[in-house]
Order: sequence, then structure tokens, then C-alpha cells
Amino acid sequence: MGIPYDAIGEAGLRFFGKVSASIAHEIKNVLAIINENAGLLEDLTFAAQRGSAIDPERLSKVCGQFTKQIQRADGIMKNMSHFAHSVDVFDTRADLYEVTCLVANLAARLAAMRKLTIEVVPAKTLVLFTGNPFLLQNLIWLCLEFAFGATSAGSNLLLIPVNDDAGIALRIGGIDSLDAGFAGKMPTGYEDLLAALGAKLSANCNTKELILHLP
Amino acid sequence: MRVLLVDDETEFVTTLAERLSFRGFKVDYAIRTIDALALAEKNEYDLAVLDMKMPGTSGLELKGLLEKIQKDMKFIFLTGHGSEADYVAGSSASACYLVKPVKIETLIAKMHEAVKA
Repeated sequence: MGIPYDAIGEAGLRFFGKVSASIAHEIKNVLAIINENAGLLEDLTFAAQRGSAIDPERLSKVCGQFTKQIQRADGIMKNMSHFAHSVDVFDTRADLYEVTCLVANLAARLAAMRKLTIEVVPAKTLVLFTGNPFLLQNLIWLCLEFAFGATSAGSNLLLIPVNDDAGIALRIGGIDSLDAGFAGKMPTGYEDLLAALGAKLSANCNTKELILHLP
Repeated sequence: MRVLLVDDETEFVTTLAERLSFRGFKVDYAIRTIDALALAEKNEYDLAVLDMKMPGTSGLELKGLLEKIQKDMKFIFLTGHGSEADYVAGSSASACYLVKPVKIETLIAKMHEAVKA
């Protein structure tokens, strides 16, 4: 007897893998900077042992780099921890703005690789999502992956949680190549996630916005 | 040896440039592809040390662009990414592939090897 194919589980694992790889890359960069600055201190010490004066300003700059990179790594790990704990609960009420900010932070490096920036606009009122937060993060991530491929370099993607007469939604604006055929260009797995969350995805080609309608 | 360093991590590339300068290398650096190409138009380099993943351009793409300007330039790729696919791509492109963080002695040894090859 075969095990049923779990498309949502596979999409989730792929998502988890991509986020983990991106975080590993960022941490490697932080370590590389710390490594070079530690090496520079060794170089300066070596020179001092041979009679060269050490410029206190130079030492202060190196110490500043250590502090900066530690803060950078702390921010990366906070996002990673928040993301990892999003699978602790499968059905909860969550602030859509906070969920969106987390995904935007996790995707920021991949956006930068495409010369794009992501901005999350705070909602005018609290927008609460009820459901599985990890599936929602995965779906927002797939929407961003699509947006990265359909947006010109140098652009800013605007993510706006809204709660109006039409219900709860996340508007993703600034996708300058958005057209009516967007569904055919979305990454694999998004339809299963929409179905699992009871969500819908539409496009406004005039405003260049992808709209994720949530229950 | 005249070296061009290209990496979008400013703090990394400036510190590495300073450390290589201490060791007698003549070093220029760029944090953007366009600046790297401008430097290669202006100066002759024995070797370029390139970040594998830069905004907008991969290290492999930049290697191709630099080779059009200076066909004899040698290359070393540095990356924070340890994926098998990157390793295969980087090491099959007639270049050395090193994963960050890297010891400066290792980097320098590879630089000499690359230039002699």
C-alpha cells in the first residue's frame, strides 16, 4: 500500500529548505566579515610587535564591525527562530502584518539579489488571520517568488494587509509585468495552499497588484 | 600581483583588500558589477576574486564579462553558499571555488596557484 502523496507537505519542506539555505548564506557572510576583522586585528598586532604604532581609531573601527555583525546575526537568528516556531501551532489567530513582515524579512536577501526591495505597510487597523500560519507564510513566499520574476530591477514591492468590506487580504503591489495570465506563472504548489487555507488569489492588472484574499 | 576583489558585502571586501595590501598585493575592489567592469577597463589584473552571488549578476556571469575585457585574467570564486550545484558550476568554470569564511593563507595560496596555471 502506497503512502498518499502530500503536495502541501512537499511545498512546505521546499519552503523550509529555501529559507534555511538563505539564512545559512547570510550567516556565512557575517562570519566572513568577523573572520576578516579578527585577521586584521592579528595583522595590526603583528605590526605592533615589530614597532609600528596602532592607531586607536583603527581598533575602534574593527570593534565597531564586530558589534555591527553580532547585531546583524542576532536579527537573522531572531527571524529564523520565529520562523521555526511557526510550525508549533497549526490553527491560530495571527496578526497578518506580523506574518507578512516575517516573510518579507526572510525574503529580503533574495529580493536584493534581484535588485528589488520589499516594504510592508502597516495596516490601518489590526488585521487578524485565523488558520495555519506556516501555510500562510508559504503562500506569501510563493507570491513573492512570482513577484520577483515579474518585477523590474530597482523596483520596490509593497505589501499591504487590509481588512475592508471585501474581507481580509494581502495586497502585493509594484509588480510591473503583472498580467491576466499570472496564474500560469505562479510557482508549483500555490493552488494546494490556497485550497488548504480557503484563500483566493486575484490580480489587478491596472494597479499592478496581486491580491491574496484570506478567510 | 594585481588583484580585483568583487563582493557586495562592503565590510568584507574592504577588510580583505586591506589585509592583502599588508601582504604586498596591489588590490582594487568593487561592490557592484558595473564598478568591477569599469576597473577592468582601466587597469590590468592578474586575478579577480569574485563573490559567487551578487545582486543582479552571478559570479559566473561577471567572470564572462571580465574575460571579454581581459582574456588572460584568472579567477577565484568566493561564496557563502555551500550548495553542490554552486560547487559544480564554480569549479567547472576554470576557476577555484572557496567557501566563506576562508583563511587568508589558503586564499593567497590559491591565488598564486591560479596565476601560475
